[in-house]
Amino acid sequence: MKTDAAGYVYHAWLASATLQPQIISNLLKEYRIPENIWRAVVSGNVLKNLITPAGFNTLKRNASDEWIEKMKQLLVHHDIRAFTMMDEIYPSSLQQMQAPPAILFYQGDLQCLERKNLAMVGSRAASYDGQKASGRIARDLSRKGIGIISGMAGGIDSASHSGCIEGGSPTIAVTGCGLDIVYPSINIRLRDNILEHGGLLISEYAPGEKPVGWHFPFRNRIITGLAKALIVIEAKIRSGTMTSVQHALDQGKDIFVYPGDPASPFFEGNHLLLREGAQYFTTAMDILEDLGWLDNPEIIGQNSVCSGRAIKPSTPEEETVLSALSPGKLSFEQIAERCDLAPATLLSTLTMLQIKGAIEALPGKLYQINDSKS
Amino acid sequence: MNEIMARTLSFGVSGVNGYPVHVEVFGINGIPGMEIIGLPDASVRESRDRVNAAIINSGKEMQPKRITINLAPADTKKEGPSFDLPIAIGVMIATKEIIPDPDLQTDQIALFGELSLDGHIQPIAGALPMVISAKENGIRDVILPDKNAKEVACIEEMNIMPVSHLREVINYFEGKDTIKKQKQISYESLKNEIIVGTDMSQIKGQKAARRALEVAAAGGHNMLMIGVPGSGKTMLARCLPGILPPMSFEEALETTRIHSICGKLPPNSGLMVIRPFVAPHHNASVSSLIGGGQEAKPGEVSVAHNGVLFLDELPEFSRSALEALRQPLEDGIVTVSRVRKQAIYQSSFMLIAAMNPCPCGFYGSTKRICRCTPQETRRYLERISGPLLDRIDLQIEVDSVPVQEINTDSPAESSAMVAARVYAARMIQLERYRGTGKHCNAQLSNAEVKKYCTTNSEASFLLDTAVESMHLSMRAYYRILKVARTIADLDCSEIINSAHIAEAIQYRELDQKYWR
Repeated sequence: MKTDAAGYVYHAWLASATLQPQIISNLLKEYRIPENIWRAVVSGNVLKNLITPAGFNTLKRNASDEWIEKMKQLLVHHDIRAFTMMDEIYPSSLQQMQAPPAILFYQGDLQCLERKNLAMVGSRAASYDGQKASGRIARDLSRKGIGIISGMAGGIDSASHSGCIEGGSPTIAVTGCGLDIVYPSINIRLRDNILEHGGLLISEYAPGEKPVGWHFPFRNRIITGLAKALIVIEAKIRSGTMTSVQHALDQGKDIFVYPGDPASPFFEGNHLLLREGAQYFTTAMDILEDLGWLDNPEIIGQNSVCSGRAIKPSTPEEETVLSALSPGKLSFEQIAERCDLAPATLLSTLTMLQIKGAIEALPGKLYQINDSKS
Repeated sequence: MNEIMARTLSFGVSGVNGYPVHVEVFGINGIPGMEIIGLPDASVRESRDRVNAAIINSGKEMQPKRITINLAPADTKKEGPSFDLPIAIGVMIATKEIIPDPDLQTDQIALFGELSLDGHIQPIAGALPMVISAKENGIRDVILPDKNAKEVACIEEMNIMPVSHLREVINYFEGKDTIKKQKQISYESLKNEIIVGTDMSQIKGQKAARRALEVAAAGGHNMLMIGVPGSGKTMLARCLPGILPPMSFEEALETTRIHSICGKLPPNSGLMVIRPFVAPHHNASVSSLIGGGQEAKPGEVSVAHNGVLFLDELPEFSRSALEALRQPLEDGIVTVSRVRKQAIYQSSFMLIAAMNPCPCGFYGSTKRICRCTPQETRRYLERISGPLLDRIDLQIEVDSVPVQEINTDSPAESSAMVAARVYAARMIQLERYRGTGKHCNAQLSNAEVKKYCTTNSEASFLLDTAVESMHLSMRAYYRILKVARTIADLDCSEIINSAHIAEAIQYRELDQKYWR
């Protein structure tokens, strides 16, 4: 039986000063549990060589009954719990990295950390292709029982979490702010979805901590730290994704890079990484094979991985349109040119194929063959 | 006896209707001067100086009398310089500068025109409603500026006498000369001279959008185009007046009337034969769109009556301006109420709107990268309210692939060819809705959609499947049926089949991609 969420109020208090993880871990090594540090700070007997004067002052300031009461309410209201690096549950993979987080807050099922998990990252302002790819790959991995870890930001992060949920495995989100805050706020539905499907939200920031810019590249080390390997879907050359890659390299993790359209600036970073020797993959199967996880049992009740059921065209027009579309994305105008069909006929043929799920319409009056049939 | 008196006839405009104005001139000995009463506005009051100079420059003299001019009815506010001519003639008759031909009934000749100081007669706004009102009041003889003559030339049984100088009018009243009558120009003969600004044959590529435009024209449907900058949205919209069926005489009269009172008719132009194309800028105020001002003048929606209102950059229009469009879109009229005046103007137009897919404009472009965050894009799209979208049947995306990349060997169809198909489809609709007060598919209510849009079983199955698999709303369901009705009419088919439905679904692509 777990303790009530209010019992973690001293964890929150200790984390609220945003001290360097190293300082907190030194304090914890000395005092074992946050409550002991609280007593020491309140009585003023804390060992001065373990903490900077500024840090001490912040902790002291927050050590009021009022503050504690407010924090207790926050913790209980959002059901936020915590553990420290002294606890047994603390993942061993984190212990081995640089600047391991001393305290971690979480919502949801902590058992997720025991599973096989992969990190999936990419741009927030992502391309349509990138989002489709991340959703598809996350879903296929998830069907093979692999959980996806990402940052619950917009773009690729959101698509990865959603894909994982769709595939049936729980997903893990590492956020860059207190767990009582959803950032970006539009992801509130995704957050609920993650928790409903047995997922886990995790953060090193105390409840109430705002999403400040520097939190995000810093929390990326936890995303990669928790995962067996890193999957890069979409990265510009100077981007947060590249900091994740750096963390993964420091931690000695494998890096899989999705080869996007070489002409698209969205994938500049991907191609740089591939040139530098990152692992190339196009499907979930590639990753599973490289990691030696091919015999991972599939989640029961789901279709097998990459089970594209071929859609048979039923009229000659549909056949022409499908064959015209086989090389990739085309605009209406280009399809009309290749198929030599009247606009009215082509419009209705496209609808038929869309309804059958054989093709999909993209913004910009573009069409392509649907590669994520399920 | 020193009193002198004369009476002439003119017309004023209130709303879109003319009304008779009796110009009474009374003179008496005293300090010389001229006073205009009968609620004149500044431009009418300044008339006395123009009249003074014009009379002298026409070789007549201004008698040193104290002159009062009354514009009856005295309780209606008079505006505009069109009373210059009747005032000048009235003054000259009263002061015996003109001894009228005894055969003429001087107060039964309608006079209007603005005078310049040298006696030339300038065109005026509102000539058409004034002449129509003259006819209704049993007046046959009308003297008006020659540049307004063509505008009114289509009105039958009128004796229109165009003049260019005050001297001609003086000679006419004195019986020294006649004025050459304006020949009547029939509406049919005007129609033959139609020159359309933009022809469909000038548009390269854009096959899907061309087809959508044809469907919109055939059913009178409002349309929203979404596309990257420079994809040709404005050009497509400009083609629409050329493919819509020609205006009937009544429609032309209604539209010309509004343009006449707004002073928007170019000089020497006749009745309008081409449907108007009105494209207000997106910073337009509610009053300029709907109508307003102290005198409750018509706005752009009325200027677009029987024609096309094109709103480019739709989300940039103020929210209040867009919401104000709902009454005219629904009822085809606008009520403009002001403290001094209330007017109802006809405003039945086709709305063609265009917008970018996101604030930077390049969402979905293959050439440029969109720099907008998803939130920015969503906020941009949400500026268009549901009720307004509800009145737009066709929502299409304009192809973003540049024309240069498409091998267009075959020349594009001309407007005339498209117009012929549109006309045929409109005829089918007129026949179908005879006696119901409707004349095109766009006007159908949801109940009428069920009545008139009969589908075969295959088509209704397809529509149900599509609604489910594409997550379409009930709103979209009725729009699709309505548009499919038009597509079937273009196909001369009484029953809507699955191909018609499938095509109509393509005209709801924004529901699928943007407003999900």
